[in-house]
Amino acid sequence: MKVIVVIPAYNEAEWISGVICDLKKAGYETVVVDDCSKDSTVKLAEKAGATVLSHVINRGQGAALRTGTHWAIENGADIVVHFDADGQFRVEDIARLLKPLETGEADVVFGSRFLDNTTKLPWLKKSLIMPLARLVNRILFKVKLTDPQSGFRAFTSEVGNKLNWRQDRMAHASEILALIIRGGWRVKEVPITVIYHEFGQSFSGGFKILKEIFLKKLS
Amino acid sequence: MLQLLVAALVIIFFIAKLGWQKHKGTVSTGEFIFWLVFWLVTLVLILFLKQLDRLVASLGFSVSAIQVAVYLAIAVLFYFIFRVRLKLEKIEENLTKINEVVTKKLKN
Repeated sequence: MKVIVVIPAYNEAEWISGVICDLKKAGYETVVVDDCSKDSTVKLAEKAGATVLSHVINRGQGAALRTGTHWAIENGADIVVHFDADGQFRVEDIARLLKPLETGEADVVFGSRFLDNTTKLPWLKKSLIMPLARLVNRILFKVKLTDPQSGFRAFTSEVGNKLNWRQDRMAHASEILALIIRGGWRVKEVPITVIYHEFGQSFSGGFKILKEIFLKKLS
Repeated sequence: MLQLLVAALVIIFFIAKLGWQKHKGTVSTGEFIFWLVFWLVTLVLILFLKQLDRLVASLGFSVSAIQVAVYLAIAVLFYFIFRVRLKLEKIEENLTKINEVVTKKLKN
């Protein structure tokens, strides 16, 4: 099965080379979608050996993932993996995500930070932001996963072909999840470890996501 | 009375300007009709302000017709802002689609 790892990147010069090298060592084909970075992300990604698609204008992480996913499927991927450029995900966890897809046990697999205790989440995130995010996703989208905001996911090309998320920016994670649940695909969560370099999505970021979801629903 | 006269003059000025713009071809026929009707209705409302006040009072409002008009105008403006926001969302979505096509074309 052909696996293509899609990495959206925006100003990730600090981490991108290491991430691509690790993926290459593990034997994964990688496509980096640069979202108009102002630093040397593109040069470094190309030098590290990844295929690089460069957005002409900055459109957000959701849009970059969409470009990369479409490109991967058009280039023969059987499985598409969404991976972060900032070195917070571990390459060895990809195999965990791929297993249920390869055995035909699931159509979509999400990495979850909450299935074991290996991820050291900041307190505010663990005790307040994530429970709230889980509640909002449960109410708005009827999603009952342990980690609805996880950006580490893998799915078959059949799912990728039908997944048509419209959120360009940070709200894409919630929308992708909602579309997958609505599509009736078989979903599985596997434990992953996330190494935090920075806090990530803040409380105000959560409200921004809600605003984006609301506007997109009406437009 | 003076206020009415000034308001009527201002509206007549705008109608004349609109006519001039139509003559020069800087406004479309649709826009011309919309603004002409708008200013004419406003003129009629101003000329019959006293009767309007009575009508507004009979409808149970404790304020004057002008104040009701201002409140309505604010509500309409908010509605238009909301519509513009939705339109912008649609444009943004289309922009992203074009961006993806261009990105992939440049790669090939």
